Amino acid sequence: MNPPRLILSGLHRGENPQPGAGLIKSIRAQFPGAFIIGLVYDAMESGIYMVDGPDQVYAMPYPTSGAEAYFQRLDEILALSPADVFIPTLDAEIELLVHLPEEIARRGLRCVLPEKLTLHRRAKANLTELANVCDVAVPDTQSVYDLSGAFAVARGLEFPLMVKGQYYDAKKVQHEGELAPAVSQLLAEWGAPVILQKCVDGPEFNALGLGDGMGGLVGLCCIRKTILSDKGKGLGGITINDPRLIGVCERLVRELKWSGPFEVEVILDERRGEYVLIEINPRVPAWVDFPSQCGANFAGALVQRLLDGIWPAVLPTCPAGHFYLRHQIEVHGHVDQIAELAGTYA
Amino acid sequence: MANNLQDLMLNDRGFAFDPTSGETFQLSTTGLRIVRLLQQGHGHESILEHVIEEFEVEPNTASRDLTDFLSSVKQVGWISS
Repeated sequence: MNPPRLILSGLHRGENPQPGAGLIKSIRAQFPGAFIIGLVYDAMESGIYMVDGPDQVYAMPYPTSGAEAYFQRLDEILALSPADVFIPTLDAEIELLVHLPEEIARRGLRCVLPEKLTLHRRAKANLTELANVCDVAVPDTQSVYDLSGAFAVARGLEFPLMVKGQYYDAKKVQHEGELAPAVSQLLAEWGAPVILQKCVDGPEFNALGLGDGMGGLVGLCCIRKTILSDKGKGLGGITINDPRLIGVCERLVRELKWSGPFEVEVILDERRGEYVLIEINPRVPAWVDFPSQCGANFAGALVQRLLDGIWPAVLPTCPAGHFYLRHQIEVHGHVDQIAELAGTYA
Repeated sequence: MANNLQDLMLNDRGFAFDPTSGETFQLSTTGLRIVRLLQQGHGHESILEHVIEEFEVEPNTASRDLTDFLSSVKQVGWISS
């Protein structure tokens, strides 16, 4: 079999890292001959310049530019660098692509995406309804569409509150005075609704999983975040084995019949003593390469599924007690590399 | 929060990792001995005897300290009663 040729995105690391660089490392571990094409939205995405990074990089228009511009550019790229597998890693890409799986297939690209309705059911604004069906706790959450609605809801939920954009970004609001700027910014940036959520105190946990599309799991790795950045990102984590958290993930995946990679984010509510669901991300997380180093290569299993058309055997469990620390070093580039990407979209 | 005291990962220097909660702890020499005795299935009275004998502590002090320690151990969920 020829080495696979893959397209993937999300190459930026830094303060708010994306999954692409970790994906590449894991894929190369299982498919050493893979030819990897990186899609970038900015010439400053640090993964472009990493050692053993993508073999080829192309600038893309933002998914918000619309499907026509996105696929037109993808066609140009495929004409230059043919590929058979596509792994989108950014929420905005997935939001666009779930509406157009036939456009991806028409180009001969194999890609695992959730169904449109499934993606919608795990959206922040719909999470309470899903959690209730799955017998999973959620913080008190309400969607608001304007400032007056936000003030009315905030009085009921009490401060401090989490204010979240429908796709990205979250801000902790301590009092009424901070509410209007936070809601206005998120409405302007991500559109309505904005989600207001009661704060939950307790340690944070994440789970990376692969759903087989029939309600089962091909793999699951649960971690406790041990070091948090100012923005709440996990700068460190340790594998755990808690049947209660595994049960939460199993119930969600069974209900959604989730297909492909996902990340579940929960907080262990210290007051209630139970896991509270915060988010379900429809993609691999930035820490995707960590389980590979514990013997469970989620990215490799995903590529194998895309090449073979069937899921490989269930991945081994990551034993409890393995930890990761996010480690940043400088990558090197030359201005000529930026020039190559400039003038297109990046 | 370990579902079973046997699941706790302990080393001889008193470093403990709870694989269910992901929390780590540093136990004193006495604390480590008590957890080891709990893992072996010893009850309160038996552990108290061991502590008095092995650490040469006054019975009243040992009893008070053991009660406090077991209360902490319950709080983290390693034992239920």
